[in-house]
Amino acid sequence: MIVLAARDSIGTSTHIKPKEQFNLFQDTRVRSALYQVLTILIVGWGIWYLISNTAHNLDRLGMNTGFGFISTAAGFDTDFKLIEYEPGVGTYGRIFLVGALNTLLVSILAIVASTIFGFIVGVLRLSDNWLIARLSLAYVEVIRNTPLLLQVIFWYIGVFSILPRVKNSIDLSGGAEVLVLNNRGLYGGWPVPGDLFWLTTATFVASIIGAFLLARWARKRRDNLGLQFPTVRACLALLIVPATVVFLLTGSPMGWDIPTLQGFNFVGGFTLPPAFLALLVALIVYHAAHLAEAVRAGILSVSRGQSDAAKSIGLSSNRIMSLVIIPQAMRSIMPPMISLWMNVVKNSTLAVAIGYGDLVALFMQTALNQAGYAVEMVGMTMAFYMTISLTISWVLNVYNKRVQLVER
Amino acid sequence: MAIISAQKTPARPAPLSDTTVIGWLRINLFSSWINVILTVVSLYIIFVAVKGIWVWGIQDAVWSAETRRECFKISKDGACWAGVLNWMDSIFYGRYPREELWRINIGGLLLVLWMAPLWLPRVKGKVFIGLTTVFLYPFLAGYFFSGGEKGIFMQIMISAAIVCLAANTLHSALGVFANSSLSEFLIRVTGTGKASEKTQRNMLIGLLALALVAVFLWQMSWHLESVTWTKWGGLFLTLVISGIGIASALPGGIILALGRRSKLPVIKVISTTFIELFRSVPLITVLFMATTMFPLFMPDGFVLNKLVQVIIAVCLFNACYMAEVVRAGLQAIPKGQAEGAHTIGLGYWGTMGLIIMPQALKVMIPNIVGSFIGILKDTTLVSIIGLFDILGMLRAISEDVFWRGLHHEPLLFGAGLFFIICFVMSKYSRHLEAKLSTDHKD
Repeated sequence: MIVLAARDSIGTSTHIKPKEQFNLFQDTRVRSALYQVLTILIVGWGIWYLISNTAHNLDRLGMNTGFGFISTAAGFDTDFKLIEYEPGVGTYGRIFLVGALNTLLVSILAIVASTIFGFIVGVLRLSDNWLIARLSLAYVEVIRNTPLLLQVIFWYIGVFSILPRVKNSIDLSGGAEVLVLNNRGLYGGWPVPGDLFWLTTATFVASIIGAFLLARWARKRRDNLGLQFPTVRACLALLIVPATVVFLLTGSPMGWDIPTLQGFNFVGGFTLPPAFLALLVALIVYHAAHLAEAVRAGILSVSRGQSDAAKSIGLSSNRIMSLVIIPQAMRSIMPPMISLWMNVVKNSTLAVAIGYGDLVALFMQTALNQAGYAVEMVGMTMAFYMTISLTISWVLNVYNKRVQLVER
Repeated sequence: MAIISAQKTPARPAPLSDTTVIGWLRINLFSSWINVILTVVSLYIIFVAVKGIWVWGIQDAVWSAETRRECFKISKDGACWAGVLNWMDSIFYGRYPREELWRINIGGLLLVLWMAPLWLPRVKGKVFIGLTTVFLYPFLAGYFFSGGEKGIFMQIMISAAIVCLAANTLHSALGVFANSSLSEFLIRVTGTGKASEKTQRNMLIGLLALALVAVFLWQMSWHLESVTWTKWGGLFLTLVISGIGIASALPGGIILALGRRSKLPVIKVISTTFIELFRSVPLITVLFMATTMFPLFMPDGFVLNKLVQVIIAVCLFNACYMAEVVRAGLQAIPKGQAEGAHTIGLGYWGTMGLIIMPQALKVMIPNIVGSFIGILKDTTLVSIIGLFDILGMLRAISEDVFWRGLHHEPLLFGAGLFFIICFVMSKYSRHLEAKLSTDHKD
């Protein structure tokens, strides 16, 4: 009734609304349009000014332009590459690929390791053991309050460059000599699949699908009937046993390319140069400390009642963590983690300070100095990082939305 | 049956296991067998680490020597701090002429003098003092640092800065000791207390102009040796670059964040693009872009030196990061605040400047300080593109003829220096956050 009355009064009062006085400079629509047109003009003029200056300067200095350089041969070499590349034969396009893959390799390894390590340290920060909590705090504070570049250089010059020479290499595999570390880098064995190895691979893929289906069936059964099923153990067994049996039945078709000392250096297997190791370790240590803070804040953001309630229904402290606290904490851990992963990719560019051939070092520094093409090369490099960053943030935002939905 | 007693039963003491040292140890270090193992292992690690650092860094260390070889002669396995001590001036000031170092020190002192009132209670007009620090101090400091011939604009700005600094200091001293302000004091001294407001204002403006002219005439006779930017270096250069970065990041970030939250689609799209562009690329690529592409952007015959290029790049980059911090802060302010401001008739800038921003800035303090620390740390990247900032200087030690190969000690010293600065900053931000907090938790 009241609503109706109110509506009536509005309906009847329209005629006493004051007549709109149109003032050109006071009208919101006119003003907002004016502001926007002005902004477009200023920004447009700025961009045009920069472009015309650049074009003029390129012309004046006789610098080469265009993307033709991508298929020209590059004359320099790099000591670490994941794909074939030969100086004088390989093109600048190839150099871009080599650099991009190097960046991706170190970033992905660093992301995975620092996430695991960061979670562990974050949980340790909240340990009820006073000493452990203090130690993790000291680690986090020291690492977070010193510049990453200084750390990268320290790991490179201070740790990985002063390792023993090749002759006195440190054997990390305990006498088996399949994983050795010296001042030239880390040398390790590399598996070489034999003829029938594809059977093992096929079995393994089939097992993965089987494990996935099994987990789904178990979850459905639990939801419907309330029966527990040892999913983790069953899946692990499914993943390991058939593949191993097939591998042994086909006669272990797998050889190892093991690094052996020939002359002054190790030959065979894989090699990771000291610069790579230093960068990787520095990235892991640095970002794990940052992630630990995010994890700690996330765990603290879960209200105490949650763990009390979980304790009261008799869950063990490990299960309280994994079933109650962490899933809820993930909601607030996720956003900082997204930006942290992007930071790992971005910070991997510090490779340029210690001579690891990442995209910036190879393409934006060496290639640019040799071939010119400043605008194109800077643009391509930036576009690469933009693509990576936007992809990571997009993928994780999708995940983030799914986690957020749980919220009531 | 009830027992009624007039006396309150005294509280029993806490059980011994909770109060004694042994009890504390049991609860905090040895509560379960896993904790026992962890404690023992970490105690051992701490023991080994501390002993190693003690023996290397202090017990066997060499504190005074002329060359690294001499260090080795005195102690083979100890740290050679002598190299760091010999280079101390360079670490702090770079290659700045040694007889001109007082200029940097004076510049630093003036900044402290200028900003100190911000921390004093009872001083009024802190916003004004903060603004003058950002807009006038750089001219004065810039002249002290680079010296040389000064143009007429520079002379005016220097005079204004000096007058302003003197007024600030006098004002703060009056505020602290007499609990009054400079204008009140001047009015009392000149005896115009009874005169009309207009006379008072004219008198104040007249005094200001008089002071400006006097200082202008005074500073005309100053002559400072010109020191080119290539001689700047060390911690001094790091602080100059990061200081400018910090001072410009906040205003730039606020503008960009307001743009991003604007209702005008064009402004919103432009701000968002700009922010995302810079946030998705690494700083080092921006610095490389600055050194390779800025010269191309400039019109004929206009040459930016490398330092200016780097500073522009650092400012743009950090403004974009700050924009996201500010945006997060703005989002934390409930919508009702803006609506309330509108109902009392405030426009956009009134709402933002008087209602939203003061609240948002308070929420943002930890993140802003975090960004400042980030800027300070990121500034070390300029050593990659060939500026001799503190990291560049620390690395140059190992290339010195006398100290060839001295890597660990300078890097550790630098790490310690950064740690102290950044740690103090972050602790202070926690303190500030607690002090300014107005929500009534607990």
